[in-house]
Amino acid sequence: MRRWVLAIAILAAAACFFLGAQAQEVRQGHQTERISGSAGDVLEDDPVGRLKVYVYDLPSKYNKKLLKKDPRCLNHMFAAEIFMHRFLLSSAVRTFNPEEADWFYTPVYTTCDLTPSGLPLPFKSPRMMRSAIELIATNWPYWNRSEGADHFFVTPHDFGACFHYQEEKAIGRGILPLLQRATLVQTFGQKNHVCLKDGSITIPPYAPPQKMQAHLIPPDTPRSIFVYFRGLFYDTSNDPEGGYYARGARASVWENFKNNPLFDISTDHPPTYYEDMQRSVFCLCPLGWAPWSPRLVEAVVFGCIPVIIADDIVLPFADAIPWEEIGVFVAEEDVPKLDSILTSIPTDVILRKQRLLANPSMKQAMLFPQPAQAGDAFHQILNGLARKLPHGENVFLKPGERALNWTAGPVGDLKPW
Amino acid sequence: SAAAASAARSSGGGAGSGGADGAGSDGGAGGRAPATSTFWFLLHALCCLVSLFLGFRFSRLLFFLLFSTTALYSSTSSSSSSAVLRATTTTTTTTTTTTTTTNTFTLSFQANPNPPPSNLSNHTALDAAGAAGHTQSHVVVGRHGIRIRPWPHPDPVEVMRAHRIMERVQEEQRRWYGVKEPRHVLVVTPTYSRAFQALHLTGLLHSLRNVPYPLTWIVVEAGGTTNATASLLARSDLTIVHIPFPDRMPHDWADRHATENRMRLHALRVIRERKMDGVIVFADDSNVHSLELFDEVQKVQWMGAVSVGILAHTGTADQPRLSEEDKQNMPLPVQGPACNSSGHLAGWHTFNSLPFAGKTATVVGEAAPVLPRGLEWAGFVLNSRILWKEAEGKPDWVKDLDAVGENGEEIENPLILLNDPSSVEPLGNCGKKILLWWLRVEARADSKFPQGWVIEPPLDIVVPAKRTPWPETTAELSAELVDSKQDQEGRRLSRTD
Amino acid sequence: MGTAAVAAAERPKQRRSSHLWKKALLHFSLCFVMGFFTGFAPSSSSSWRAGSGGGGGVQPRHQLATSHVAVNQQVSLVPDAAAAEAAGVGNGAVVDVGDDEGGEGARRMLIVVTTTRGERRRRRGELLRLAHTLRLVRPPVVWVVVEPAADAAATAEVLRGTGVMYRHLAFRPEENFTTADAEAHAQRNAALAHVEKHRLSGVVHFADAAGVYDAHFFDEIRQIEAFGTWPVATMSAGEKKVVVEGPLCSDSKVVGWFSRDFNDGTTRAVTYNTEADLNPAGAAGTRAHTIDVSGFAFNSSILWDPERWGRPTSLPDTSQDSIKFVQEVVLEDRTKLKGIPSDCSQIMVWQYTMPMQVHAQTSTPKTHNRR
Repeated sequence: MRRWVLAIAILAAAACFFLGAQAQEVRQGHQTERISGSAGDVLEDDPVGRLKVYVYDLPSKYNKKLLKKDPRCLNHMFAAEIFMHRFLLSSAVRTFNPEEADWFYTPVYTTCDLTPSGLPLPFKSPRMMRSAIELIATNWPYWNRSEGADHFFVTPHDFGACFHYQEEKAIGRGILPLLQRATLVQTFGQKNHVCLKDGSITIPPYAPPQKMQAHLIPPDTPRSIFVYFRGLFYDTSNDPEGGYYARGARASVWENFKNNPLFDISTDHPPTYYEDMQRSVFCLCPLGWAPWSPRLVEAVVFGCIPVIIADDIVLPFADAIPWEEIGVFVAEEDVPKLDSILTSIPTDVILRKQRLLANPSMKQAMLFPQPAQAGDAFHQILNGLARKLPHGENVFLKPGERALNWTAGPVGDLKPW
Repeated sequence: SAAAASAARSSGGGAGSGGADGAGSDGGAGGRAPATSTFWFLLHALCCLVSLFLGFRFSRLLFFLLFSTTALYSSTSSSSSSAVLRATTTTTTTTTTTTTTTNTFTLSFQANPNPPPSNLSNHTALDAAGAAGHTQSHVVVGRHGIRIRPWPHPDPVEVMRAHRIMERVQEEQRRWYGVKEPRHVLVVTPTYSRAFQALHLTGLLHSLRNVPYPLTWIVVEAGGTTNATASLLARSDLTIVHIPFPDRMPHDWADRHATENRMRLHALRVIRERKMDGVIVFADDSNVHSLELFDEVQKVQWMGAVSVGILAHTGTADQPRLSEEDKQNMPLPVQGPACNSSGHLAGWHTFNSLPFAGKTATVVGEAAPVLPRGLEWAGFVLNSRILWKEAEGKPDWVKDLDAVGENGEEIENPLILLNDPSSVEPLGNCGKKILLWWLRVEARADSKFPQGWVIEPPLDIVVPAKRTPWPETTAELSAELVDSKQDQEGRRLSRTD
Repeated sequence: MGTAAVAAAERPKQRRSSHLWKKALLHFSLCFVMGFFTGFAPSSSSSWRAGSGGGGGVQPRHQLATSHVAVNQQVSLVPDAAAAEAAGVGNGAVVDVGDDEGGEGARRMLIVVTTTRGERRRRRGELLRLAHTLRLVRPPVVWVVVEPAADAAATAEVLRGTGVMYRHLAFRPEENFTTADAEAHAQRNAALAHVEKHRLSGVVHFADAAGVYDAHFFDEIRQIEAFGTWPVATMSAGEKKVVVEGPLCSDSKVVGWFSRDFNDGTTRAVTYNTEADLNPAGAAGTRAHTIDVSGFAFNSSILWDPERWGRPTSLPDTSQDSIKFVQEVVLEDRTKLKGIPSDCSQIMVWQYTMPMQVHAQTSTPKTHNRR
């Protein structure tokens, strides 16, 4: 009878061993593959020749005049919409013949409306967008041909084309009806969220590349911070009770880890912020009002393993960047266990993540450099658009067919801009 | 998970009682047969369940291996399969821990499949079809609790683990970016027993212990080796060659300088005799080093020069004293190689002692600033093969060590070894980077200090405490001391009790 | 008879068990196969899987995190319990779990505070030398470096090359300081404010950048439960002066204080009056004046949890002048004061004064901090 027990034990052990061996094999295979090649083979694709983009020529009140009025728009984290425009104007994928274009781009700077303190207000954005679409629909035949299904728009605001900074309001509004068929290029990404429609391209927020470059320190600077974070824990002005902001996750980080010497966390933004990230092992990237933040970009660029605390986040270029491999994902409810989670990651796994992060193509894909460089975020957007080609049958409407409801949405949005 | 865990737990329990049972039936206890068979049936069923579970896991694994095509998905599968593995091991190992473990473990997953009641859930239902193969979003919009854990922290075990991780990370950084095949570093230090020796030598010792390359420390001690120095050195885990030098260190500053030079030369002869191979660094015990120096010296071919920051100080009295402000504004004097625009050695920065003008050749500490003279040895780095009688590729512009300093003339610096000083390689970004500091502070030569820095009991004057013995003014204290001494004569305490 | 019966019973049993063996193995493999195919079923079974185990492949994005949690729960349970227990007694400040992992048990944290001022040019070298020493101290060590905000950028570069875990506090004083001492005092308070705000728990020591420490010193002060003190040697550059100041100890207990100049041969010393010690009123009367910051270390929890140390909560506002508060507490609560090393005879800390400073601020050692 003891043999019985023995047999069971052997069976179980064998099964475990077998499963373990399998898992190990997979892991090993990836290690060599990833390290010898590049992290994202797709990241090095060249979009030129794979798609053609037609840039609508809009009156400057939709773009350049706004920027002239407030040049601060060039520096905030929503600036991708401006740089994307500039990039496309001189890009090799641009075509002047709309007939041969695969994609149409409408250069409209919907987030360039800043408060005196520099925060973007999206209240006028829907009207502005509507006005721009009306304009292209009347002046060119291409909008009506597909009602925007072969058009793409850059909407880098907190909740993308929902155009509101409060999540509940944004969800209530939903994506602007006129953009229901268009492809949205946006920073917002969360699974199964009204503000993220299928086929959208999630991009990194804009972080100033020159400034980051200027703060680079030698890569052999010893990493002597275990966990680093600088930013708000409580947004007392907008959320005095707490719990709304970052769904309570940031507050939880502070309350649980302020007294842990391994956690270098604070609300002060020191002048050595970028340098400090380069000497940290882990950089916290918790959600704020939206799941994304520029920390994602900063962490990747500075080779600090991003600890992503945002349930169901959809990460930038997730089809090209192996976020699972380079980052650590911690569920919001597991924040109190953050120290245990991070210290129990095997060192080999940590070192591997760092090796992957050292890959320049990964960093390049996170940035919008001026002038553009091969493999940068502009190119990744184009790659994303190219991968959606050729257009499906349902893109082009039959003559007389209409899909969009031009009168849908809040009354306020229907007013002329 | 709970089911599997309990299965495993009871199978574990079964193992124990099964053994006992077996012994019982061996003894012929037939009356217990029904109970045993029930038990066996249960055990059997449980094992079947375990098999079922294992089979299920196995197939999921295969599923992922076979049907995931894109890089992203296969990468996911790698992590998920390892997660599967971990989950399995957990369920088996949790049998030894408490039930609460299993409970929390299960809870953390049960939260996921139930879409929480919110306005978001309507939309998730709508979008669910589109997100094939993905989970439903379980994020609730609205107010969340701020989770604060009840247990105290940080957990010291985890703290240690984190430190080990960082240690490994830094080690790996050195492996990636550091010198690939490091050369041996030979550090030459002249020293002698004096008040500041413990301070200086301990400082240098700590710096050297941080050097990430193989290192031998050659310490030459004036007036013969002493136990005090030896015991200081013994505290490090460095390879140390402690060499006695017959002459005592003179009190006169200029003579002292010359003696130190002869001591260094003595060390070089030892290196030559023993044919020690490596890069020679001249580190005075009063120097402060940047660890970058030791990276830089790895580059030297025959003789290199680095920039030394001079932190001189003025003497006690009668000196052209500089105001605090002047000191702050004066740029740090630097001694070292000067490069031309094309990055070649063009000349030397030497220390300008003019602001410190005065008696420079006096007994240390007697109203004299301790200043460097000419070029300090500390600013030079040698390949030890330059000293060997024969070495492969040894350039012809090098003199033999025996031809140097034979007639007792002073060797100011290692440049004397060269016929052509222009062959010196400037290091540290062509001398722009200061890699060490000359921070010479010494007490007066005749200062007394405790042997081995141990305070010998007993202390003489002991009075009951009213206050610590270093109050604002000395006068006040001495008065008090006298008074209380008379009062408390009988209450003397010696430190020996 | 007994032996024969047992032998006879053995044989059929063996046969029976081998039969059972086969049957059981068949059942198991059947179950395995069943499970195998269930696994291929569409993910409608996800709810069951989520409830049943590691979540399988349901949530790839959370795999990493959840799997770690799973591993962790076993690990963290035991120390948690120990820590919780310790917290009941010592508020988690002094948690010595012992040798948990490879003999490398938990050590008390060291919080080394360095204030910088005075000659900016020396700072780089001095900080490097102290950093090299701290690098040799076994973790956990946190180095808190305070300095005027204007100089911070250059120092940040020095610090980050050292590999020591540090916190660099840029200090923006509201007032202009007339003396270097006043500035150092304010900087120390700034450092303690950081320790207090973050509830950093460990042994705090103010290490002057110009000082040199024996590497074992830090292991010694790690043993401090409440307060610790030791002799410090101060030498004067260019002079004939070596002074040692520190506690008089007997079996780690501090029984008094002394100050000895090795060159003029003078020694000043006082011992505590033991009778007064036992009498609270008398103890209050023997309130000492001050203690040099280079000569003591203390457990940081005194800053934010004075009650634990048996001190009234209605203390004068500690946030204003924490360092003064600590200095007073150290001298008052001498029963908790530990002499280091045990007989306080070995000097492990050396510091020196420059003649320039000697003239600038009377003839006191520069690190002295007076009221």
